[in-house]
Formats: sequence, C-alpha cells, structure tokens
Amino acid sequence: MQNSLKVALIVIVLIYIFIILKSVKKKNMRISYLIFWIITGIALIIALLIPNLVENLSDVLGFEMPINMIFSVAIFIILYLMFDMTVLISKEQRKNVLLIQEVSLLKQRIENIEKKRKDDYE
Amino acid sequence: MKRILIIPAYNEQDSIIKTIEKIKESNINMDYIVINDGSTDGTESLLVENNVNHIRLISNLGIGGAVQTGYKYAFENGYDIAIQFDGDGQHDVRFIDKICEPIVLKEADMVIGTRYLDKSSSSFQSTFMRRFGSNLISFMIKICCRKKITDPTSGFRAVNKRVLEEFALDYPTEYPEPESTVSLLVNKYVVKEVPVSMNERNGGTSSIRLWKSVDYMGKVLLSILVDSISFRKKRRKK
Repeated sequence: MQNSLKVALIVIVLIYIFIILKSVKKKNMRISYLIFWIITGIALIIALLIPNLVENLSDVLGFEMPINMIFSVAIFIILYLMFDMTVLISKEQRKNVLLIQEVSLLKQRIENIEKKRKDDYE
Repeated sequence: MKRILIIPAYNEQDSIIKTIEKIKESNINMDYIVINDGSTDGTESLLVENNVNHIRLISNLGIGGAVQTGYKYAFENGYDIAIQFDGDGQHDVRFIDKICEPIVLKEADMVIGTRYLDKSSSSFQSTFMRRFGSNLISFMIKICCRKKITDPTSGFRAVNKRVLEEFALDYPTEYPEPESTVSLLVNKYVVKEVPVSMNERNGGTSSIRLWKSVDYMGKVLLSILVDSISFRKKRRKK
C-alpha cells in the first residue's frame, strides 16, 4: 500500500473513532452497541499499522486477493448488523403500539371521569 | 350477556355518524366504542359533537392496532361478547344478532360474517380480484390449519370472552383479519362462518389498494405460514 494512502486511511479511522467518542460523551449510544463500534475501530487501526497483516491473513485463509477477504468480512458484519436492527425495530414497534394503546385508553378513562365529576358538580 | 360493538374509524367523517345513527335506530341492546385511529380529518370533532363513546388513539396504528385497543377496552370493562364492526357503512346492523348467535349458543369461539357463502344474497360480493385474493388466502389457511375459511379478510366478526381476552393480550397487527383467524385455528378454537350481506362502502377508501395488492398478498401468505407455526400452543388452552 502506498504511504500516502495509508496516512489518509489512518486519518479517516481516527475521525471515525473521534465520532464514536463524541457519541459516548453525548450519551446517545447504548453500551452494548458501543462495544461493537469500538472493536471495529481498533481492528481497523491494527490492520493499518501492522504491515502485511491483511495480506498474510488472507493468504492463510485461502483468499485469492486480500480485498476479497476484506469485502467478505465487511459484508457479513453489515448483514449481521442489519438483521440485528430489524429485530430491534420490530421489538420497539411492538412496544410503541402497546404504549399508544394504553395511553389512549387511559386518556379516555380520565376524560370520562372528569366529565362525570363536572356533571355531578353542576 | 354484555355485548359491545368495536368500531374502528380512520378518516371516516362522511360515514361514521350515519353508522352510529343506524346502530341507535336498530335498538339492539348493546354498547359500542368507536376507536378513532388518529384520523386527520373531522372525525374526532364529529365524535365529540355527537357525544359518541370513543377512544382517540394518540397516533395512527392501523386497523389491527385500533381493533386491539377495542378488545382491551372490552376486556377491561368485562364484556362477554365483542363484535368488530366497520365504521364506513360496509357492514349491516341487521346481521349483528345473527353473528352473535353461535357464540350465545356456545357453538363457536369466533364467528366471521362472510360475503361469499352461497346462501347469502349479498348485494355486494366484491370484485373479481378481491375474490381471487380471498380464495388464495383461504387456500393457504386450509393448508396450514386444515380448516376452510371462505372469507378470511372479512372485518365483521364476533368473539366470545375467552378469545376477547386472548386478543386483548396478543393481537397480530400487520394483517389482522387472516392472522388472528390463524392464531385461533392453530390453537383449536372453533371458528364458524355465517353468511351476511355487505353494502358498498359509503365513503373513504379501502385499506387494500390495487397497486399494492400483489405485495400485500405475498406478505399475507407468508404471515399465515409464520403464524401457524409461531402461534401454536402460544395461546393457552383452558
């Protein structure tokens, strides 16, 4: 890999890690998800800093080209993440429906009680 | 027996009051609850003006979520029979007693008012495409549950107290009519069909649009298959 490209990639990964840390500070990321992002960040740095790591690994695993290994790994990780997200969204959606229903039922009950009290008062 | 009509309404300002009037005129001895499913038109103000017993959902849930809210209300208030009844004037008040009958006689846990049974001289049999779709869903239910349901998408149905409780706790909200039927059938509840006639819609648009129907059919068929597995033994049998 050319040195200039390497430097550019390292800068990008550093920005990536910076964004992760920022979201930690703002507390808008759950810890269980955070661990995933931190691990990918560290893995990227290691792959960039240790020379020939990716090449040797792909050789050992039997990939014809290192880039194939990178793409395969990336695609599997993204597939996993997407699956996880759809499960999460479905769960949240169920909870959301439950909330809307219960709040609406409660509101109707309260309104009825208030109306009754008003009528009794008059 | 305490009976309640559950009337889901989404943007039904042209027909909802007419439906309520008809119910009151027919002096059938039962309560009703309108579920305003987050309508964006004048439905809510009409309901308030006319002093109609209703629940306003704080956000749009779709027909399944709205109807389940009705079942929850019915359960909390101790009703014995709940009847699902459309607010758009499609369903006929005269048939309410008829679809309750098998439940009163304890012959069925759920009764579906169906358009397609031969005995009925329905003025509205629906279009060819809808019929075809219905048959396909019927076929799928027959494969998965070994029971023929002629009109699985009919929203005119009555349930007894046990089913009402089940639905209050867990009701499929994506394709509610066929899915809820499957969820009962796989758990050996008795589902019966009674012929009814339905009117053309008074207003509003059907929730199933033509250009979406292929997509809809695929998902419904898949959901029936999935439900026939996932609901098995989930619903407890007393």
